[in-house]
Amino acid sequence: MKMGMVIDLEKCIGCRSCMVACKQHNAQPPQTWWNRVFTPGSHRHLTPPAKGVEFFLPVHCQHCENAPCEKVCPVGATYHAEDGAVLIDYERCIGCRYCMSACPYGVRQFNWEDPAKAHQRSEYQEQYHYGYPEDHRHEGRLVYMPLRPKGIVEKCTFCAQYRDKGELPACVRGCPGKARFVGDLDDPASEVSTMMKGRNAFTLLPEKGTKPTVFYLPPKAKEV
Amino acid sequence: MSVKMRIGLLFSGALFLVAIAAWIYQLQEGLILTNLQNSYSWGLYISGLAFFVGNAAGGLVLTSSIYLFGVKKLKPLAKLGALTAFANVTAAMLIVLPDIGKPIRLYNMLLHPNWMSPLVWDVIVLNLYALASALYLYILLLPELTGRLAWLAIKVDDPQAFSERWAKRFAPVALVFAIGIHVVTSWIFSTQGARDWWFSPVMAPDFVSVAIAVGTTVVLLAAALAYGTGDSYQEAYRTLGLIIFMATCVHIFLMANDLVIHAWYGNTEAHRIMEIAWGNFGLAHLFEVAAPLFGAWLLMRPQVLSSLPRLLLSSGLLIAGVFVHRFLIMPAAYNNIPMTMTPFGLPDSHWSLPIASGRFLPGMSTFIDQYGYFPSLVEIVILLGIMAYAVFLILLAIARLPILSKERI
Repeated sequence: MKMGMVIDLEKCIGCRSCMVACKQHNAQPPQTWWNRVFTPGSHRHLTPPAKGVEFFLPVHCQHCENAPCEKVCPVGATYHAEDGAVLIDYERCIGCRYCMSACPYGVRQFNWEDPAKAHQRSEYQEQYHYGYPEDHRHEGRLVYMPLRPKGIVEKCTFCAQYRDKGELPACVRGCPGKARFVGDLDDPASEVSTMMKGRNAFTLLPEKGTKPTVFYLPPKAKEV
Repeated sequence: MSVKMRIGLLFSGALFLVAIAAWIYQLQEGLILTNLQNSYSWGLYISGLAFFVGNAAGGLVLTSSIYLFGVKKLKPLAKLGALTAFANVTAAMLIVLPDIGKPIRLYNMLLHPNWMSPLVWDVIVLNLYALASALYLYILLLPELTGRLAWLAIKVDDPQAFSERWAKRFAPVALVFAIGIHVVTSWIFSTQGARDWWFSPVMAPDFVSVAIAVGTTVVLLAAALAYGTGDSYQEAYRTLGLIIFMATCVHIFLMANDLVIHAWYGNTEAHRIMEIAWGNFGLAHLFEVAAPLFGAWLLMRPQVLSSLPRLLLSSGLLIAGVFVHRFLIMPAAYNNIPMTMTPFGLPDSHWSLPIASGRFLPGMSTFIDQYGYFPSLVEIVILLGIMAYAVFLILLAIARLPILSKERI
């Protein structure tokens, strides 16, 4: 079993629903975003670049097979789960932020202060809590907490807390254009494998040799 | 104890205590007290690590000169070399602590070390080098541990001969750890394929050459302050000055070599690096090249070596230049976002994906691709405090232990 994700850029409408679903379901503190959707080539999202094609690019953890973040972690807090997802053990992370330098995709986020204080600082309504409400352990390791301790690193888990209940990640469920798919990359008959075959699937920064398990299907060329 | 010594101890000790207080404050509030954010995740503390590791090379230079190359005239400075090495390598380990988000969990390094991580290797070599410097200093001190200090001495028949013999045997071992700390510290950066600015095999030899230059300067500075600039010391100082100048030239050569290769290839990533290194930080870059080179050149002049104020100024210039060099490890790495692409249909364009800052920054977007980092007051106080720690330790050892040779050279 090798978990993977396919994102069909032809179907992505740039609405950022996956960003919001991800932020809310994973109780991300203010200014922390595991998932970002932008318009490549343009300084403003949903605004076509001066020339060229307008398309939208969602980027979150690429769950690399050769993950530099996992290799640099001095205490093995970042690890590969049995299904291929790259997870962080919130009980073990020492907060050295080496992984944040090592990750070429810029998906790793640090807790610079206590999330409760961050809520105050950003003037969130008092007693406003959002996200999956319980701590979650995957293979015995703590990979999700609704309130993160300060001083640790966090990132996309492919929604470990939902997948362990047999549900799909929040971004997949929340996509109105049905542009996101998860499945087994090892199974040639799986939905994700068959989708990739016909459509010139590509990965981000292949020259870095990280072997991502998130694949993108290119948008079709359009008249602008 | 002289009045100057008392003032020095009091001042440096107080500054160290202030830094500890600042660190406790930072432990309570979190690293929000630094000016770092997600897209610029390492700053002054990790530059400080590289700086102190370089300063610790003095022990290596003197040991190898005396026992491997037979430069006997440096022998009276051997203890100072080992002492400055110990003070600086422990300072290097201390400055990492405030950079750690959850230092209370550092025991995980012992329980679950990841042997692939260069940070684990670095912790090992830094500890071994600290141990080796302390042990080496002890071996050198042994013949003089008499009277009030006799309880510290191990019982041997002929302390003088024992010290000579073991110093000679120990020198090559210490040398391996000494080279190790510079090489492994450089690997923390140069193994990172994500950062084009760091991903270069020249970084390890460059770290060694910077270290030989600045580490020797630290010993020269300490020796001039302790012994003065009398005639009997000039020959030893001239040797040190020559080592400093040669090492500085090698360092400038290696750095320029790296920049030329980056600049020549001329892809968009390299352009971005050059824009930051020569554009945004052009003046700082000029200083990191000119200050060490000019300082090192001055430290070869007999007029400079024989005058304490001139010697202090010249070595200060070199050390300041190397400090700026260490600071410049970060900007061209973090302000060049690795996740860049050429969007479809825009072959000439180069677009970077902004990163969420992770903290509230007034007047700034949450998503950042450019960030002008300057350390916060807490970061500066903690760094100065760790520098004060190194000074305090050196002064205290000179005051309490027979570090300075009584006989003239």
